[in-house]
Amino acid sequence: MEAKIIDSRGAACPGPITDLAKAYRNSKVGDILELWATDKGVRADTQAWATKTGNEILEVKEDPDKIVVRIKINKR
Amino acid sequence: MEMKKVLIIGGGGGGLILANHLDTNEYDVTVVDKSDLHFYQPWFLYIAFKGSKRKISRPIGELLKPGANFVKDEISTINLNERKAYGSRKGIYNYDYLAIATGTVPDPDQIPGLRQVYDEYGDYHTSVWNSEKLWSHISKFKGGTIAIGQSSPTCKCPPSLLEGAFLLEEHLRKVGLRDKTRIVFFTPFPRAYPAEPMNKIVEPMVHERGIEVMPFFDVDTIDDQKKTITSLEGESLKYDLPIVVPPCRGTKMKIIPETVQDEDRFIKADKKLMKIEGFDDAFAIGDCNTLPTSKTGVTAHLEAMAVSEIIQGRYSEFNGRINCPFDTAYGKATFVIADYNNPVAPYPPTKVKHMMKMTMARIYWMTLMGTADPIFEQFFKFTTPEKLNKKYASAE
Ligand SMILES: Cc1cc2nc3c(=O)[nH]c(=O)nc-3n(C[C@H](O)[C@H](O)[C@H](O)COP(=O)(O)OP(=O)(O)OC[C@H]3O[C@@H](n4cnc5c(N)ncnc54)[C@H](O)[C@@H]3O)c2cc1C
Repeated sequence: MEAKIIDSRGAACPGPITDLAKAYRNSKVGDILELWATDKGVRADTQAWATKTGNEILEVKEDPDKIVVRIKINKR
Repeated sequence: MEMKKVLIIGGGGGGLILANHLDTNEYDVTVVDKSDLHFYQPWFLYIAFKGSKRKISRPIGELLKPGANFVKDEISTINLNERKAYGSRKGIYNYDYLAIATGTVPDPDQIPGLRQVYDEYGDYHTSVWNSEKLWSHISKFKGGTIAIGQSSPTCKCPPSLLEGAFLLEEHLRKVGLRDKTRIVFFTPFPRAYPAEPMNKIVEPMVHERGIEVMPFFDVDTIDDQKKTITSLEGESLKYDLPIVVPPCRGTKMKIIPETVQDEDRFIKADKKLMKIEGFDDAFAIGDCNTLPTSKTGVTAHLEAMAVSEIIQGRYSEFNGRINCPFDTAYGKATFVIADYNNPVAPYPPTKVKHMMKMTMARIYWMTLMGTADPIFEQFFKFTTPEKLNKKYASAE
């Protein structure tokens, strides 16, 4: 299944969580979201978010120009 | 030679600053706004939480420098391919350069149950009228639970949400109701203030003042009968007084091509040049665009300054600088400062910064005219996020 890309590169305040929360509102169970960010805080924040919302972080990887967080929506 | 026409839609901070920085001997400048009046929105806070009666509007026509024109009209459609804007009252406007600076539109109907709460209690973000309405509820409040927060992650001026909670707490303490009131601040973000470095500064104050925080609380529905707010994450919050800032969207205008707007109707623009995606002669400034920065007056201001240079053929770009004043109540304030390349600095609140915020409210009208530019330049030079981070972040 193709991931829905959420490009939050460059966003620092309020930051990538804004875009993630917006995408979550429009998502359904089974969707894969891929959050792109440059803000280092994104790792901890998405982890806390996933724990809270009952969704799953599939992978966090660091590319030279961005941090990519792949998220599977298990709960909506 | 005929003068180039610059059409500016919206006479808010962004639109006026752009108009006032264009040479009217060289350019034919027109600002179109559906309202005659410009409002100083940051003061909504002091109307809603302190009952301030200060007059915060001025006629747009009087805030423009001589030579720039003002037309009262509501633009309904823009055709970027044909360089035309359609007004609902006065017809068709042609342009050589276009700047859209239409701000945001509150959208309480996005969330089931919010409309009723919004109509009944008002809020502290959308108008003088709604702020007065909220004050009338706060001033009559006798104790119980107050739920306060933003109902969607997209919001103007990120600090203003928590500023509301701080000012509310100060008010309740002043009138002797603090012990009888639970203040619950809900937020879709992981913490009280979204940017971690600033959260470190304000979170101790939140605790000290007994404000409860519900993080990751993204409002899903509100039931005003049962007086309950439910979040997308599945939590619920009971209230006696709800203070809910509604979601906001981009412009209602139809723009051709439609592809320049995102799903919330914000206009896609280059983050440094503010050019609307695919166009060289059209810009989107301030709250109405999709720039990955905070929606604040200062960013609208700096974007407008850069666009004025670009239109006049000089090189310029916006570096993402934010500078949001943050009133932490009890006479202190700080600023949230960052740019595209530097994270938010943990800048501590002081009395002097509070004085600066209050001075800003007084010289605001000068900043629109451009006469306060030198003061800003100095301030920005001394408070770059690099400098502040070096001084305050490394001290940790
Ligand atoms: C409570 C609160 C506190 C804030 N505090 C601060 C602060 O301390 N510092 C700070 O920098 N910022 C602050 N802000 C944010 C700041 O007020 C906004 O970011 C700023 O006003 C944005 O300017 P703008 O020009 O983009 O839009 P606006 O100022 O909103 O102007 C938009 C204009 O466009 C007009 N318009 C809209 N649609 C049309 C149309 N179709 N046709 C014609 N005209 C149209 C409107 O009538 C309006 O005049 C605060 C905001 C709030 C709500």
